[in-house]
Amino acid sequence: MSINKTDDAVGEYLREVEARLGSLPLLQRRELLADLEAHIATERADRNVQSEGEVLEILERLGSPDVVAAAAYQEADAPGPVRSSTVTTFVNRRANPSWVLILVIAAAISAVVLLLGVGLMFFVRSDDSAPVPAQAPAPVSSQSAPSATR
Amino acid sequence: MNYLASQGTVSCMAEVAQLSTSLRRGTLEFCVLAMVEREDRYGTEIVRRFGEERNLAASEGTIYPLLSRLRRVGWLDSKWSESPAGPPRRYYALTDSGRSALEHFRGEWVSFRQTVDRLVGTGEAA
Repeated sequence: MSINKTDDAVGEYLREVEARLGSLPLLQRRELLADLEAHIATERADRNVQSEGEVLEILERLGSPDVVAAAAYQEADAPGPVRSSTVTTFVNRRANPSWVLILVIAAAISAVVLLLGVGLMFFVRSDDSAPVPAQAPAPVSSQSAPSATR
Repeated sequence: MNYLASQGTVSCMAEVAQLSTSLRRGTLEFCVLAMVEREDRYGTEIVRRFGEERNLAASEGTIYPLLSRLRRVGWLDSKWSESPAGPPRRYYALTDSGRSALEHFRGEWVSFRQTVDRLVGTGEAA
């Protein structure tokens, strides 16, 4: 009975680790699971572990599936799903208000720059060639003239 | 006031944990190499040895990905072999390039340590 229970705990632990290694290369995933399995089996044999409590202690020393998986991704030099999702939730939760603020400020600045640019262009044009501003109002007045007559 | 103080303690503890993680990174792998310098050792043996060092103590399961990387870069060799009693063991051996990497680290580490000691004031003269 207790042997079944401890095997369940070990099996569940290994499944939990495996579930977190989804984007690790296949061979590295298999290697790590084989290493962990061998470690647990060796510890149980060498220390003559019988009770469920002692098995749980072995698993505890190995570290939580999250910690082990994070180390696997770190050593693989591949950004894991654990990491990237952490970053995303961090951005979503914490940085949203400041992002809105930054966007508003950026929009305001670009609007001011745009207005200045348009104003500058107008000035430059009017300085360079006098006929352009003189011609510009002409269509406006000709357009407004018919509407006025209506 | 109390809340602020406890918050400060928590962030300080996090910093301490972060510090030992940072210090471990880049040095732990050479401790692993040194461990198999004179004789081949199996994974659980290496992991247990680290468990005895309080300053290095990381979760045991994180050592295996490190061993995997050291094998992939060619500094360690590994082979499974039957054990007299119990399940098969995976033995790790230092390769020639692992040996020279370890030698290189030893030289770098001594001068690095001396510089830090001098700047931080932790040397014997301080």
